[in-house]
Amino acid sequence: MIQVNGLHKSFGQVVALRGVTFSAPDGRITGLVGPNGAGKTTSLRILYTVLRPDRGSASVDGYDTTVAALQVLRQIGAVPDSHGLYPRLTARENIRYYGRLHSQSGEALERNIEALITLLDMQDFADRRSEGLSQGQRVKVAIARALVHQPRNILLDEPAGGLDVLSTRAMRTFIRRLRDEGRCMLFCSHIMQEVSTLCDNIVVLARGEVVATGTPDELRQMTHQANLEDALVAVIGSEVGLERC
Amino acid sequence: MLGRIWTVFAKEVVDNLRDQRTLAASLLYPLLGPVLIALLYAVLGQTVVQQSEQPLSLAVAGAENAPGLIQFLKQNDVEIRPAPADPEAEVWAGNYDVILVIPPGYGEDLRADRPATVQLISDRSRQSASVAVSRARSLLEAYSHQIGSLRLLARGISPAVVEALVIEGIDVSTPQSQAAGLLNITPYFIIFSIFIGGMYLAIDTTSGERERGSLEPLLINPVARWELVMGKLGAALVFIVIAVVETLIGFAVVLNFLQSSFGARLELHLLTLVFVFLIALPIMPLAAALEVAIATFTRSVKEAQNYISFLTIIPALPGMLLALVPIKTELWAMLVPAFGQQLLINQVLRGESVRPLNVTVSAVVTLLAGLAFVFVATKLYEREQVLFGR
Repeated sequence: MIQVNGLHKSFGQVVALRGVTFSAPDGRITGLVGPNGAGKTTSLRILYTVLRPDRGSASVDGYDTTVAALQVLRQIGAVPDSHGLYPRLTARENIRYYGRLHSQSGEALERNIEALITLLDMQDFADRRSEGLSQGQRVKVAIARALVHQPRNILLDEPAGGLDVLSTRAMRTFIRRLRDEGRCMLFCSHIMQEVSTLCDNIVVLARGEVVATGTPDELRQMTHQANLEDALVAVIGSEVGLERC
Repeated sequence: MLGRIWTVFAKEVVDNLRDQRTLAASLLYPLLGPVLIALLYAVLGQTVVQQSEQPLSLAVAGAENAPGLIQFLKQNDVEIRPAPADPEAEVWAGNYDVILVIPPGYGEDLRADRPATVQLISDRSRQSASVAVSRARSLLEAYSHQIGSLRLLARGISPAVVEALVIEGIDVSTPQSQAAGLLNITPYFIIFSIFIGGMYLAIDTTSGERERGSLEPLLINPVARWELVMGKLGAALVFIVIAVVETLIGFAVVLNFLQSSFGARLELHLLTLVFVFLIALPIMPLAAALEVAIATFTRSVKEAQNYISFLTIIPALPGMLLALVPIKTELWAMLVPAFGQQLLINQVLRGESVRPLNVTVSAVVTLLAGLAFVFVATKLYEREQVLFGR
C-alpha cells in the first residue's frame, strides 16, 4: 500500500512536483502516466527514498519515506530507469548481491534466486557475465534483482523499455501475476499502450501535478472518449512527450 | 549490520579482481619505486666507478710553462690535452669538466720559491664533474706538497715539521646510513603505493558506480549509507595493503640483490619490513577515505582520476623535501598526517632507533584524520546529490 500526500519537489529553479497526491492499493496495478518531464520518476525516487520531498509526505505500508527510510526499503522492490547491472558479475551474482543486502543468505536465498530465474525464463544466461547480455536480458536481471526479497510493494520505472514484443507480453503476464498474489504494483510509463492494457488504476501526471485519477472506465467516461489513449491525451491536453503504439 | 558491510566489501573485491586493467595497474604501480631504485643505483654506481677508474683527461692551457708539473701529472695517469681558447666559457657550457690554466709567470715564481699560481676552472653546480674536479685538485695538492717537501729538505729541515696536524678520518655512518642517499626516497614510494593502490577501486566503486547507473538501484536496498561507505572503504584497503606489501617486498629484493652484486651495504630484514608496514598502516584508511570522498564528490570518473592523481603528489612533497634536505624527526612533524610516518620510516630504514612517543602520536593523528574523511565520505553519500554527482 502506497500513499503519497501533497509532494513538492524542486531542483534549483526547476519545479518537478507541485503537490502530487495519489495512492496505490494492494492487489492492484496502478499506472503513473504522463509525458516526459511530468514528474513520474521524481515521484518514484521520493518513494524509494533516494530523494527527499521539499513538502508533503509519502509512505509505504504506513512507513514514512523520510522518517523510516530503511523500513520503507524493506517493503519495496524497485526497478529504476537505469538498470545498472554490474558488468563483471554474472546475472546470478547480481541477483545474489541484492539478496544478501536484504539480509538473505544460504539455502533460502539460493532457492529464491532459482525460482526467479525459472519464472523469468533466464536459465540460458543466468551464469553469464552481464556485460554480454542483451537489453531484454538485462531488464529481466534487473527485475529479478529487485524482487529477490519478495517485496509487498513493487515499483517499476518504464519496465518495458527496450523489450521486444514477445518479452513485453511475458512481462505483462508476470506483472499481472504479481498483482494476483496481492502485491501493490506501481509502474510509470509514457507508453500509453502499456498503460491501457495493464492498469487497474491510472494516475495521470502533467507538469508536476495530478490532472486525473481513476480506472480506465472512469477516465473514458470523464472525457467522453471511447478509447483510453484518446482519453489520456484529452486529460493531459497535448500529445507531446507521449508515445502511442 | 556487519553482514551488510561484509556483503558490499566482498562484492567490490570480487568485482574489481575481475577487472583486469585495474588489477594490472594496481599490481604494476607499486613496483615503480623498487625498479627506479635499482636503475638509479645501477646508473649512479656505474658513473662513479667509471670516472675514478678511467685515466683523468685534463685540458691544460699553458702546459709549456710548467714541464715539471705536466710530467708529474702524466706519471699519475693523467691524459694531457690542449685547452680551448676560452676555458671559462667552455666549462660553463659543460663541454669540459675541468680545465687547468698555468699562467706565464709560473716558472719564474717556482724558481724564486714563491707560491706559483695555477687556476683550476670548474663548475661546482655540476654533480657529474665533481669526480674529475676533485681528482685534479688532489693531484695538484700532492704536487705542491712534494715540491714543498723538497724545498724543506734542501734547507735541512724535516718536512714533518710543517705537518702540524695529521687528520685521520673516522667514518661514523652505519652501513645503512651510507646507503641512505637511496633509502631517503623509499618512504615516498611507500606513500605513493598507498595512494595509487586504492585509487582505482575507490573511483570504480563510487564515481564508476554512478556512471554505470548501478548506484541508484544499489541505494534502493535497505542498507545505511555509512554501511555502503565502510564496505567500499574496506575493499579499497585490501588493495592498498596488497600494493604496500608488494612495494616492500620489491624493495627488499632489489636492495638485497644490490648488496650481493655491488657490495652495497643495504640490509633489509624481514623484521624491518614488518615495522615499516606497521608505521605506514594508519595512512592506509586515511588514503582510502580521502579517495572515496573525492571520487564521490566529483561528477565523473575522469574528473575523479584527475583530482586523485594530483592528490598522490601532495603527501609526496615532504618526502621529496626529505630526500634533498635532512629533517630531524621532531614531535611537531608527527602532527602532519603521512609526513611523520615518512620520517619514521626513514629512521627505521637507516637503522636508527625510533621513539615510541613519535610512533604513537603520528599514528593517532593520522587515524583521526582518516576518521574525519570517513565521516565526510558518509555525509557525501547521505546527500541526495550523490545520485547526480556534486
